Formats: sequence, structure tokens, C-alpha cells
Amino acid sequence: MTRYITRRAAYCALSLLLLSLTIFFFVRVTGDPAALLVEPGASAADIAAIHHRFGLDQPLWVQYGLFMWSLAHGDLGQSFYYQTPVIDLYLSRLPNSLMLAGVAMVFSLLIGIPSGILAAVRVGRFWDSAGKVFALLGLSLPSFWVGLVLILLFSVYLHWLPSSGAGTPLHLIMPAFALGWYFAAAHMRLTRSSMLDVLGSEYIKLARLKGLPEALVIAKHAFKNALIPVLTLAGINLVIMVNVAVVVETVFAWPGIGRLLYEGITFRDFPVVQGVVLLGGAMIVVVNLAIDILYAVIDPRIRLER
Amino acid sequence: MSSGLVGREPYPAGGISMIGRRDFLVATGLGLMTGAHAAVAASPDQLTWGVHVSLAPTWFEPAEASGIITPFMVFYALHDAMVKPMPGSALAPCLAESVKASEDGRSYEFVIREGAKFHNGDPVTPTDVKFSFERYRGIAHGLLQERVAAVEALDAHRVRFQLKEPWPDFLTFYATATGSGWIVPKAYLEKVGDDGFKKAPIGAGPYKFVSFTPGVELILEAFDGYWRKKPAVKRLVFKVIPDESTRLAALKLGEIDVAYSVRGELAEQLRKTPGLALKPAVVQAPFCLYFPDQWDEKSPWHDVRVRKAASLAIDCNGINEALTLGYSEVTGNSIVPKGYDFYWQPPAPEYDPKKAKQLLAEAGFPRGFDAGTYFCDASYANIGESVVDNLLAAGIRCKLRPVERAAFIKEFGEKKYKNIIQAGPGAFGNAATRIEAHLVKGGVFSYGSYPDIDALYQQQAAELDRARREAILFKIQQLMVERTIYAPIWQLAFINGIGSRVGESSFGRIPLFPYTSPYEDITLKGT
Repeated sequence: MTRYITRRAAYCALSLLLLSLTIFFFVRVTGDPAALLVEPGASAADIAAIHHRFGLDQPLWVQYGLFMWSLAHGDLGQSFYYQTPVIDLYLSRLPNSLMLAGVAMVFSLLIGIPSGILAAVRVGRFWDSAGKVFALLGLSLPSFWVGLVLILLFSVYLHWLPSSGAGTPLHLIMPAFALGWYFAAAHMRLTRSSMLDVLGSEYIKLARLKGLPEALVIAKHAFKNALIPVLTLAGINLVIMVNVAVVVETVFAWPGIGRLLYEGITFRDFPVVQGVVLLGGAMIVVVNLAIDILYAVIDPRIRLER
Repeated sequence: MSSGLVGREPYPAGGISMIGRRDFLVATGLGLMTGAHAAVAASPDQLTWGVHVSLAPTWFEPAEASGIITPFMVFYALHDAMVKPMPGSALAPCLAESVKASEDGRSYEFVIREGAKFHNGDPVTPTDVKFSFERYRGIAHGLLQERVAAVEALDAHRVRFQLKEPWPDFLTFYATATGSGWIVPKAYLEKVGDDGFKKAPIGAGPYKFVSFTPGVELILEAFDGYWRKKPAVKRLVFKVIPDESTRLAALKLGEIDVAYSVRGELAEQLRKTPGLALKPAVVQAPFCLYFPDQWDEKSPWHDVRVRKAASLAIDCNGINEALTLGYSEVTGNSIVPKGYDFYWQPPAPEYDPKKAKQLLAEAGFPRGFDAGTYFCDASYANIGESVVDNLLAAGIRCKLRPVERAAFIKEFGEKKYKNIIQAGPGAFGNAATRIEAHLVKGGVFSYGSYPDIDALYQQQAAELDRARREAILFKIQQLMVERTIYAPIWQLAFINGIGSRVGESSFGRIPLFPYTSPYEDITLKGT
């Protein structure tokens, strides 16, 4: 088991290293941040001064080395635009993102799982078709559009909810719905296919042959097993919701990490983009590692396979 | 807003023991909603802005003013300058009660206003003025350091700027084009350091700092000791709302009182909404077409008739109506904004596609010609689309190529473009600074020049007599129009909206300034 965990942890570390390399170099392809920090027509000396101030005048590999060195010391650098440590910016936005992602996840599971079960149990019938339409809409409607329609309906016309910002539970409803909508569809599809797999298995057939009521077969025997992949996906999705709800947070002016990432990209704020992507990546890697370890604990074949 | 409990019988005596679990949940939910609505409702002594850009702590720091206008949105509230643009005057004495230039043009003496003080109660002194100037590291610091020999505190109220050579544009740069004339408290800054200052800035402006969440919200409170007047509104809240539609929705709901930048169809919607008012502000950005190949004899653009044809083909007023509801100003001056010092008013631009075709035919292009690429800043591609259509109607066939803003500015300055460039210069200064950048040899955005214009430019730079200098600068602008070096479009209007609670919004009171200033003049209705 120790060997298995060590191997998985090494893969994780390698993944993060590759991610740091990728984001570090790709973000620099977007252009020169100095161009956004000076007025049109700034002299070469002014631009050079900005490069020097942010260490952008050094060779890329040196910049990368310094970045990794700082990272190893828990320092994600200083935002070019906000001139504040990236970690402070990240942590100041994290509670809002966690709250939004948490509510959106609850919403997506409450909608996605029951509708997925219903579609699987009534496969090929009305509820299955309705579920397919729901999944299609959920996955294909862009979240900015869903967000704007919600604002128009519930804020502008009905005056029920505040249009943007954060601070009260009411502010949370529309962004959580807009964010959870897509994931509800994804969870619905996975629940449906997972349930169909389980419902076709031998032990379910046996349970039915034993004369167990259908509700009991579904609720007690099928549902629990079908839920495992859905919850695994939900774990990963939660991390994605926390870190990359860029569009929803921008439309609703929600002060979360997604909006921080958007601002970082807009202003070519390399340290912010690097920091947000790396912390998001680290969260995904840690969640995956935890899941792998749990699987290995539950199923010895996994940890014994080469 | 009703909580939903209005009209119900009051709870019977016995209190909480009489409330069931369901009632408790309902009451809690309603309480949350009521609280929430109270939070979003407008406070009687507060005004809230929906800002279109992310607020940054560098905007608290005049020393870092990069030359773009946006940070001045905050400077005007938090800080004050010796001399700055104010209603009725582009160079209004503020912390300085008077400014006097020496006869030889080599020094400027400022007298600091009696009673001018910082938010911590310290008086503004010549030491603060000198300190603020010397620590300025923004866009024009090189130029200022190069031309200013010394800043001397003469006594407790007087400070003198000694120049190396006469520099007629000194006040333009010190008072309008940079942050060097905005005064910060030396003693406080030395105590807290640069980073500490950005976290808790102290200025001499009408509003003092309360709190800031980077990129999210800035809260300011009225400074009763402001020299000009006590601000009428007690609290200002600047909320960043990046999406334009959301800003408009928030304005309609009364969640914000002022919405910056609402364009196109949304602006039309704003105009039609009862209770809201549209507030356009014409800014210092004239848009125009530049023909970088006009110095290439082989290019069709070398022929002034072709350039004139392009100018005649553009329906400036039609585009203005369609895109900015007619609020932009069609001035005919391609690079110098109306309101700038030494601005020359050309004749109104003509729209005459027939004459454009005729001129093209005379120039040897009876069937028009392929004009190549039309480069523009992607943020203003909507203007480009309309102009390309106009040009096409006259027979000038070109392909629109919007380029990301920063890349566009960089490549424009690096002289990488050919064919047609849609320019929109927005820098501070006066007619001379615009001409230097866009018209003369070596200018940042000049792809070529005309020797007579270059000579006139040098002549005006050394001219201390204002009337003679003005005549030369007028002549240069006249030549620019006659030769159609640029084809004018309009001077852009920045369209904003205000809600029903706002009395005086201060939009448009400072010429060419897009934001609400002076803040101390802003009022709520009924106050």
C-alpha cells in the first residue's frame, strides 16, 4: 500500500511540475503585460522599467527558476495589476467561490441524480426523453446566456433577486443556478448511464427474482452502487466550480476565484494566472489522489496491479 | 419591500413556544430575504457606482499614474492636485491658490492654499509638493526630470519649479497629463512606506479612504475638512461590475446609482427606461483613419485625391447615430480633441459618396481599388465595420482586421501596419503633444512626415509668445486637414447612466473627463 501511495504521489508531483511549466510558458505567449500598464506611445525606457520591475527582462528559464524557487517557499508572487501577493488575493476570494460552488453542487446533485435515476428506470419512455432534452440543454446553453436570462427574469422583470454582487443568501441563488445548471446535466447523464449498467447486472436480476419490491431494488441495491462514479465526478467538478467559474462570476460580478482568473487574463497578470491555475491544478490532483487511495483501500486488486 | 409578514396577525402572547417548526423555517427564510433586500436597498446618504474596470491599488497612488485616464476616476475623490482640470478651467488652481510663470519662462511659482490639509489633519506644505514631484515615477517622469532643474520650498506656503530651459507646456504636463502635480503627505508616506500607502492611502481630496477589496469594491467617506467645500454625499461605494448588461440591470433595480460605460443597444434601452438618465461624456479620443502608405509613391494612398475620397466616403454622422446615439462629436479634427489647448476647428467633414467615386476616377481608379487591410483596436471593431462598409460603397475595398488592444497599440507604434489604420489617440496633453506623436518626424505613431510641418513644429516648440505659438499650431492642423493625412470620424462619447436618486451627477462638468467629477459637487436628490 505504501508503495502504491508513493507511486501515485510521484505521478501527482510530476503532473504539477508539468502544469507549472505549461502555464508559465503559455501565459507568456499572450503578449507583454507592460503594454497594458502604460499609455499608448510610452517610451522604450518606460516599458523597460516595467519589465525590470517585474523581472520580465530576465531570460525565461531564469524567470521560471525564480518562480519555482518562490513556489517552493510558498510564495506565488505578486500581482502585476493589484500589486498584492497572489496568495492573499486567492484566499480573499476563496470563501466566496467555495460558497458558490457548494450551493451550485448541491443544486446540481439534487437535480442531476433524481432525474438520472428516473431516466434510467424509465428508459426509452417519456421521462428518459425528457432527461435527454434536459441534458442537451444543460450542456449546450452557454452559462453567460443562462446568467443574463436569469438576471432579466428574476431581477429586472420580477424584482425578486439582486442582479449582481455578493453579501446575502439572495445574491447566491442565480449564480449558483447558472453554474449548477451545466453540472446538473452532466451528473444526470452519468447517473443515468451508471444506473443502466447496474440495473443490468446479475445481482439486481437476482434481487428481482427474489421478489423484492422494485423501489427497494432501485433505492437499496442499484442506487448505492451507481452513485460511486457520480460522486467521484462530483468531487472533481467541485474543484472545477471553485476555480474556473469564470463566466458565471463575471456576469454576476461575483467576487470569486473565477473572476480573479478573468482579471488575470485580461491584464496579462502572469502571477495571478499562474497562481490560480496551479492552485486549481493542485486541488484536482489532491482530490484525485485521495480518490485513488480510497479505491485502493476498497479494492485490493487496484493496489496490487502493476 | 414587503417582507411578506405585513397584514398578518401578530404572534400571540407566549412567544416562541407557540411557533411550530414550519413557522420558524418560514420566518427565518423571510428574515433572510428581508435582510437581503435591506442590504441591496439604497442608503440615504450613500451613492453607489457600477464601475466597468477592475479597481487596483495603484489608483490610490498618483506617483504611478501611467498616463491613462482611468485612475483619475479615483484621484479626483481621494487626492487633490496643485492645479488640475475643473469645471470652467483646464488649469484651475486647487491646492495652489495661484501660479505664476516667470517672464523668461524658466520658473513657475505656486502659492499653497491656506487651510489645505490632508485627511489626517496635516497641512499641505511645499515639502509635500517637492516630495510628490520627486517620487513621481509615472509615464512622463523622464521628461519632467529632464526638463525640471529643481523644486525649491521658498517659505511655508510657496514653492518654485525651476526649469532648465523655457518649456511652454510645463503646466500641461504638471497639471493635466501626469500624476506629478497630485500631492501626497510626505510624513505619512515615509512612515508607512509605498506598500502601506496603497493599503491605507491618505490624500487631500474630498473623500477619504475607508476600505478596499482589490478588484471588487472601494468605499470612501466624505472629508469634512476639504478646502473647496464639504461634500454633499457622505459615502461613495465603487463596485466593479464587469458585464455591461449586468451593470444596466443593477442600475434599473436601484442597486447602483451610476453605471459607467453602457453602449449601443443597451444605451438605447437605458435612454428609454423611465427614471434613468443617460449621461454621455465626450472624451479626449478623436477617431480617424490613418494612411501609413501615403509616403510611398507606388501606393494609391500617395494621391491626396484617394485619401480625400476615403474621407468623403465615411458617413460620420450616420455611424455616430448608430453606435453612440449621436452623442459623439463630429469635429473634423482627426487627432486633436476639441477642448484641448491650441485646438483648431476645421470645417465639418463632408459625406459625399458620389464625389468620392469621382475623385477616385480622377485618380485613375474608376472601378475603385483593393485597399488591403484595415487595422483597428478590437475594442472598437464596431466602428471599423461601419467604416469598411462606407469605403466599400465608394469602391475602396478593404478587409477589417481587429487586433487585441495592447497588441494593436504596440504594433501601431512599431510601424508594422500598412494600408489603413483606425486610430483613436487618447493621451493627455495639448495640440502640440498630439502633433508630436502623430504628425511629425520621429513621432511615436508617425509613419512619415512632411518637411514643412516638421519645421513648423520645431518653430512652435521654441515660441514663448502664446499668440504666435497658437498661430503656428493652427497652421499645422490646417495642413493636416488639407492634405488629408488622416480622415476624421468623430470624437468618442463615453455613455453612462444615472439612477433616479442622483441630483447632480457631475458628468461632463470637467471637459473631456469621462467620469463623475468633481465628487464634492455630486448630490442626491432632495439634498
